[in-house]
Amino acid sequence: MRALTGLLGSPAPRAPPSRPLLLLCLIAAARWSLVDGDPPDSAFTSLPVREEMMAKYSNLSLESHSISLTEQSSMPVEKNITLERPSNMELTCHFTTSEDLNSINVTWKKGDELLEKNNYLINASGNTLYTQYTFTIINSKQMGSYSCFFEEEKEQRGTFNIKVPELHRKHKPLITYVGDSTVLVCKCENCFPVNWTWYSSNGSVQVPVDVHMNDKYVINGTHANETRLKIMHLSEEDGGSYWCHAIFQLGESEEHLELVVLSFLVPLKPFLAIIAEVVLLVAIILLCEMYTQKKKKHPEEGKEFEQIEQLKSDDSNGIENNAPRHRKNESGNQ
Amino acid sequence: MAKVNRVGSTSPPDGGWGWMIVAGCFLVTICTRAVTRCISIFFVEFQTYFTQDYAQTAWIHSIVDCVTMLCAPLGSVVSNHLSCQVGIMLGGLLASTGFILGSFATSLKHLYLTLGVLTGLGFALCYSPAIAMVGKYFSRRKALAYGIAMSGSGIGTFILAPVVQLLIEQFSWRGALLILGGFVLNLCVCGALMRPITLKEDHSSQEQNRVCRTQKEDCKRASPYSPLTKEWAQTCLCCSLQQEYSFLLMPDFVVLAISVLFMAYGCSPLFVYLVPYALSVGVSHQQAAFLMSILGVIDIIGNITFGWLTDRRCLKNYRYVCYLFAVGLDGLCYLCLPMLRSLPLLVPFSCTFGYFDGAYVTLIPVVTAEIVGTTSLSSALGVVYFLHAVPYLVSPPIAGWLVDTTGSYTAAFLLCGFSMIFSSVLLGFARLVKRMKRTQLQFLAKESDPKLQLWTNGSVAYSVARELDQKDGDSVATVVPGYNLT
Repeated sequence: MRALTGLLGSPAPRAPPSRPLLLLCLIAAARWSLVDGDPPDSAFTSLPVREEMMAKYSNLSLESHSISLTEQSSMPVEKNITLERPSNMELTCHFTTSEDLNSINVTWKKGDELLEKNNYLINASGNTLYTQYTFTIINSKQMGSYSCFFEEEKEQRGTFNIKVPELHRKHKPLITYVGDSTVLVCKCENCFPVNWTWYSSNGSVQVPVDVHMNDKYVINGTHANETRLKIMHLSEEDGGSYWCHAIFQLGESEEHLELVVLSFLVPLKPFLAIIAEVVLLVAIILLCEMYTQKKKKHPEEGKEFEQIEQLKSDDSNGIENNAPRHRKNESGNQ
Repeated sequence: MAKVNRVGSTSPPDGGWGWMIVAGCFLVTICTRAVTRCISIFFVEFQTYFTQDYAQTAWIHSIVDCVTMLCAPLGSVVSNHLSCQVGIMLGGLLASTGFILGSFATSLKHLYLTLGVLTGLGFALCYSPAIAMVGKYFSRRKALAYGIAMSGSGIGTFILAPVVQLLIEQFSWRGALLILGGFVLNLCVCGALMRPITLKEDHSSQEQNRVCRTQKEDCKRASPYSPLTKEWAQTCLCCSLQQEYSFLLMPDFVVLAISVLFMAYGCSPLFVYLVPYALSVGVSHQQAAFLMSILGVIDIIGNITFGWLTDRRCLKNYRYVCYLFAVGLDGLCYLCLPMLRSLPLLVPFSCTFGYFDGAYVTLIPVVTAEIVGTTSLSSALGVVYFLHAVPYLVSPPIAGWLVDTTGSYTAAFLLCGFSMIFSSVLLGFARLVKRMKRTQLQFLAKESDPKLQLWTNGSVAYSVARELDQKDGDSVATVVPGYNLT
């Protein structure tokens, strides 16, 4: 037993162990873990059991992802993986270093939890160290962050973030009016949720939308990747936050929409202001025009008035200038 | 009697109140052309609200454009018979009503009727009378005045597009339509600015329509309750229509009309297909939008600078030639377009095309005024814009069909290019024929009466040439002094 634990406790072998030895070790490990009494999680079973499981899940797709690290990497390297449906996962980490490959300790963690050493392969060729973790994801418990660690003086870390597709799209608040109806749309690019649900909230509590209320809410969607919530006979209380949840086999993701319900008086004020401005300007311009036309007529009347005045003053000048005055009158009248 | 003479005819002021008319026309162009272009910003909202696809909502824009151009002659008839002020104010009220009713729409069909037909009709009543009015107030600086007035569509689109977007975000499309209806009511302000002006009548209309004019005066004097009212009314109507549309029989105008048909066919698809073409040759979305912005801005610059240029003394008599030069260059640009397959090549194309597009748009009213004179300008412009309607309507779908069947944009662009080049060649050819005829007749006049050759001031040749072509007063005056009678 001690020899076996010693074997398990020692750093992982560099070269792939010979098959019979490996099988022996793993059978022993299986018995040891079974003796412990902890019922293993489906992903953490020993290799033969896992091979069985792999055979059961062989109709699932295989997702392979890899991260490359060097000893100069100062920041941890992260890779985001979006997953909609259950699949077999193959996560590989490569570590290139000039140091002695034997002195590096390789571990895998899910979140903060250390994963069992016998579930991952370690390989070395030339300057590079490979480690591969293979498992199957079938429910939301297996989603999360998986990290590979290469420990020497510094710890090098590569993280795979496995999540369901996110719906985050920037939505501007939707403006509507009292008595009108509106359509709230949630869309997911390149993903097909199993189901959609809608919630409304006035504070922090999300309340599901009551679809059975007559004539108020209608939920439908033309394609599998979008959903539409039609709200009719809007009132001021219908304003607020709405949430659409996309349900996948492996989890849920949500999106937030904001609805604002205005009364019709709100745009009416700028409208009336513009109308007042138009009426004022038209009145000013037409009055100006009438004034200019009157001014054009007045100088003519003014000149005739002057002519009449001059004739009157000539008249009163004297009676002896009869003949020339007649002539002047005639020319003046014309 | 002295009073009557003083109120009457003046020559175009070329300034003073004329600049207020230009400002009014500028605002009319913003409220009609720029608002029409900004309607397409509402399409995304209409698609979401009415759950229709793009093709159904795009009909609104086509209906507005088509009705505005088709009813342009109606606009000139109304403004000729009532008055320019009343016509434009009526148009403003109609267009505003269309927008306000559209903000209460419950289906896309309602929008076709209100936003499409009613608003288009309102715009039609405003557009051509306003442009004709500018022509009446300017003669020396006509092209510059038109340049400033027509630049309203480019500047208006530039300013209104973000404003409409903001209105939709703040008030949703219903509130935005309501406020836009209020904005369009400013057309009434423009209408109030259009003070009527009576000009010295052209020589041509005096001689040709003397008979008609006496009948028209009889019509005015006849009381409405006389037993011969019906007959009088019919002859009056016939006569006034005959007088108004007499320019339709002028060969110059017929040539211009045909060339406008081909030019309108050629120029519209570019604004629809430049972005898809740029995307197909590998340009990114933002760069394609940038190309359209360049087109718009250079269009405005072309409007104003080309207007100023053709007002210079050296180019003033060659406005016709400048017009056909601008149209021809645009056609050539089209022919080169299929060979330009990268952004550094498409940017100069946008600049060139945009500049000459703005240039010939400015010169359309100027060239029309040169051909028909200022009294019939309103009706002539109505007819010219009417001829724009059908090509605007059919040209983008035909180009789209060509793109779909041939799989590339080359055929569509080549067709448009040849259409515009044909239009400019037709104009040049007509001008050449006219010049040849005139020199021929002058030559014959010289040979038929040798005695008159002794008159060194050339007045005989002048009067013969004048009978031939009374519209080209200016150009004949420049030709004759150079004519050597020895």
